[in-house]
Amino acid sequence: MKITLTVNATDYPLDVEPRRILADVLREDCRLTGTHLGCEHGVCGACTVLVDGEAVRSCLMLAVQCDGRSVRTVEGLAGADGGPHPLQRAFSAEHALQCGFCTPGFLMLAAGALDADPDLAEHPERVDSLVGSNLCRCTGYAPIRRAILRAAEEQQRLDLQA
Amino acid sequence: MSTWTRREDERLLSGRGRYVADIQVPGCLDAAFVRSRVAHGTLRDVDCAAARQVPGVVGAWSAADLHDLPPCAHATADLPDLPPMPHTVLANLSSDEAVAGREWPVLVKDRVRYPGEAVAVVLGEDRYRAEDGAAEVTVRIDPLPAVVTPEAALDDTVRLFEGLSNVALEGSTGQPVDESVWQHAAAVVEGRYRQALLLPTPMECRTLLAVPDGDRLTVWSGHQAPHRLRRELAAALGWPAERIRVVVPDTGGAFGSKSASFPEYVAVAFLAVRLGRPVRWIEDRLESMLVATRGRGQDQRVRLAADADGRLLAYELHIDADVGAYPHIGAGLPMQTAWMATGPYTTPRVHATLRSVLTNTMTTYPYRGPGRAEATMALERSMDTLADRLGIDPAELRRRNLIPPDRFPYETPTGRRYDSGNYAAALDLALESLGYDAWRAEQARRRADPHALPLGIGLSCYVERSGGEPGGLHEFGSLEVGEDGVITARCGAASSGQSHETVLPALVAASLGVDADRVRLVDGDTGEQADGVGSFASRTAQVSGALLSHLSALLADEARDRAAKLWDLPPETVRWSGGTVHGPHDGAPAMDLAALVRATGPLRVDDRFESAMAFPFGTHAAVAEVDPELGTVRVLRLVTVDDCGVVLDPAVVHAQAFGSAVQGLGQALYEGMCFDDDGVPVLTDGLLDYLLPTAAEVPPFVGRDTCTPSPATRLGAKGAGESGCIGTPAAVVNAVADALRPADRDVLQLPLTPERVWRAAR
Ligand code: FES
Ligand code: FES
Repeated sequence: MKITLTVNATDYPLDVEPRRILADVLREDCRLTGTHLGCEHGVCGACTVLVDGEAVRSCLMLAVQCDGRSVRTVEGLAGADGGPHPLQRAFSAEHALQCGFCTPGFLMLAAGALDADPDLAEHPERVDSLVGSNLCRCTGYAPIRRAILRAAEEQQRLDLQA
Repeated sequence: MSTWTRREDERLLSGRGRYVADIQVPGCLDAAFVRSRVAHGTLRDVDCAAARQVPGVVGAWSAADLHDLPPCAHATADLPDLPPMPHTVLANLSSDEAVAGREWPVLVKDRVRYPGEAVAVVLGEDRYRAEDGAAEVTVRIDPLPAVVTPEAALDDTVRLFEGLSNVALEGSTGQPVDESVWQHAAAVVEGRYRQALLLPTPMECRTLLAVPDGDRLTVWSGHQAPHRLRRELAAALGWPAERIRVVVPDTGGAFGSKSASFPEYVAVAFLAVRLGRPVRWIEDRLESMLVATRGRGQDQRVRLAADADGRLLAYELHIDADVGAYPHIGAGLPMQTAWMATGPYTTPRVHATLRSVLTNTMTTYPYRGPGRAEATMALERSMDTLADRLGIDPAELRRRNLIPPDRFPYETPTGRRYDSGNYAAALDLALESLGYDAWRAEQARRRADPHALPLGIGLSCYVERSGGEPGGLHEFGSLEVGEDGVITARCGAASSGQSHETVLPALVAASLGVDADRVRLVDGDTGEQADGVGSFASRTAQVSGALLSHLSALLADEARDRAAKLWDLPPETVRWSGGTVHGPHDGAPAMDLAALVRATGPLRVDDRFESAMAFPFGTHAAVAEVDPELGTVRVLRLVTVDDCGVVLDPAVVHAQAFGSAVQGLGQALYEGMCFDDDGVPVLTDGLLDYLLPTAAEVPPFVGRDTCTPSPATRLGAKGAGESGCIGTPAAVVNAVADALRPADRDVLQLPLTPERVWRAAR
């Protein structure tokens, strides 16, 4: 089936089998391997990407469902100035990753939330529920939570300045 | 300041990490395995004909189709981390004759011995095709009764191997305790503890990509010990090791579970060679839950005796270990528990005995803290029972018995020689960090209030062993200086998330007095580093770190020698500082490393460096609130105090210690497998059937450390990273027991599910 995915603002005209999941098409057809598969049945969240701005588990979505829609993956994450995104810097600063396998999923989940919720910094309980929806076996989560809050606070400061 | 805390971070945070599944090789085939649905049975027939007709399927084979598929490499013989068995056991377990008869086939030949054991392999142009093919393979297995616990397997009424006992190994440490000691002791407590089978569950499952090229093979695998994997694949293929290169790219966690070779690895390497095509196996999560290695799995029986003052007199531990269907590394792990049975106490008599029992479950292997976690749990639970019996505060009981700092090195009755420690300091810091007295007061208040939820405080003092066992305490590596002055460090380690690229170059740079930017690390590649041991048993900082420090000294010596020749000076007059060689006085010649290499040619030092075992220790403390009606446990506070000697990078160590403690929490409260009546794991809800801790379960936490350098290791470093899995579980279980004070503490078996806690509260 012929579809077009817009991934990180680039169009990918593709011919995919209807049964192929979005994660596999991103990884193999678009060669964007930053999206990881940790369970392939919707539990771990490692495969989280943004589809039209909304966080989805790309192992639970068929690529054909995304025809004509816009997908953002970790490869498209960048700060306003083109440098690293505040989340990327905060994850590094807080040791919010060790092996890095779960990391793209947490980053995209948080990126979606930051875009949708400019007040995230004031609602740590919202950060809790974000972090609680994905799995990480290395970090114990607290550093991830701190990193997301840190990025949210930075974004809030920037918003105030703007 | 750099944007990135660790060198790994930039690529891992931008989607440019490279895990095995990310590697694109043209023409690569995907492997899918057809697996047994029963735990135990006789294989009657496998028919792959229909699978071969499926579009995109390149081949499908059962064992009968592949007569010359080699058996899985028998790992025990030369595994450095395998405890050295007592002689007769070594002969029974690790000699080829002994394993003959208990051979682990790559694909089932006639008998299925664990659920999910592979009966056929299908190669497809992609994973979808391979799985289409696998669905068409028909398998006929006549089920046999399955034995899935040591208790069920022990009497040999159901044998896994005809004519051979299910008991694969018996062992002991220490001397039997005379009956009179138990009779005359003021208090003797007993306990039975079941250490559940755990799934290590790295977020990346197992991976292997085999790319043949002429008479050579390159293997990419998320792995902890690439040289071991190379050796074992070479043995399986009957090749000299030099023809195989194993490369470990980014690896998504391991926790002990990626240190060996597995049937699937051998099958993939074999087929890649046989077909002359790249083949990969990217294990999926359901496969991993069914057939990746398990950790722990011990049934323990203990007796602990003390005098009226609480001085420990004797400790006895018996272990029936569930080692799974084939006697590999896991069969030796209970010896680790036996050796560590003494724990941090001065107990004069300690005797540990064990039987490693084969069961119809996937093979048991190391999982973070193997052997030591089980030793700590048994002893520390018993200490709390004893404190209760004697009416002595649990902290005080421990303090009276901890090995004092001036007794090191300390020879234990179970054959260990502890290098160094200040166990009481760790205990005191833990109590202070917890606010022990305040929590005891709160506990008393709640006990007086019939409406308050019960609250308990649990302690766990642990000592563990890091670095490995004699015979495996060395590492190989080199330092090489380029004409640009860049220093390349190579060693046999392999990272699965432990920040080697950051920590080890920083260590070399500090040893040489140069900027860290000038040093880069290459590890996890047998093509770059001819010999190596690997990263397991918390050995990288302690053993590879010592090696790199030693190599740095060699490099500085070599630079001084060369400069002395160049300048025609006596070598002892040439000084080394800040990456530069200097003549003896002001105004004498000086030359930096880059210039020296340009003047004198390539500069490289290679060596093998022998380290020693070390014994990290600490105290963990937990406060738990229990709802007796719901059986739920809320951990209100978790404190860890760890001492791993000299720390190379505190932030990295603390991050690992915390992650490890959260795994330990999972071990205590959530993680365990359910089996159906026929011995097959219940996985209807996939990963949801194995409760990993999520962020919602993480308690308020304080992590502290003390520093007692190891006199036995070059840097004074001891291993880090396993502490949480070793110390935390017993602290949490003791807190729950302290809250409920059940008449029979053995009701509280791991994990502490609501049902078990509810029963204990009755
Ligand atoms: S891979 Fe999609 S949720 Fe786990
Ligand atoms: S960093 Fe390894 S799983 Fe999260």
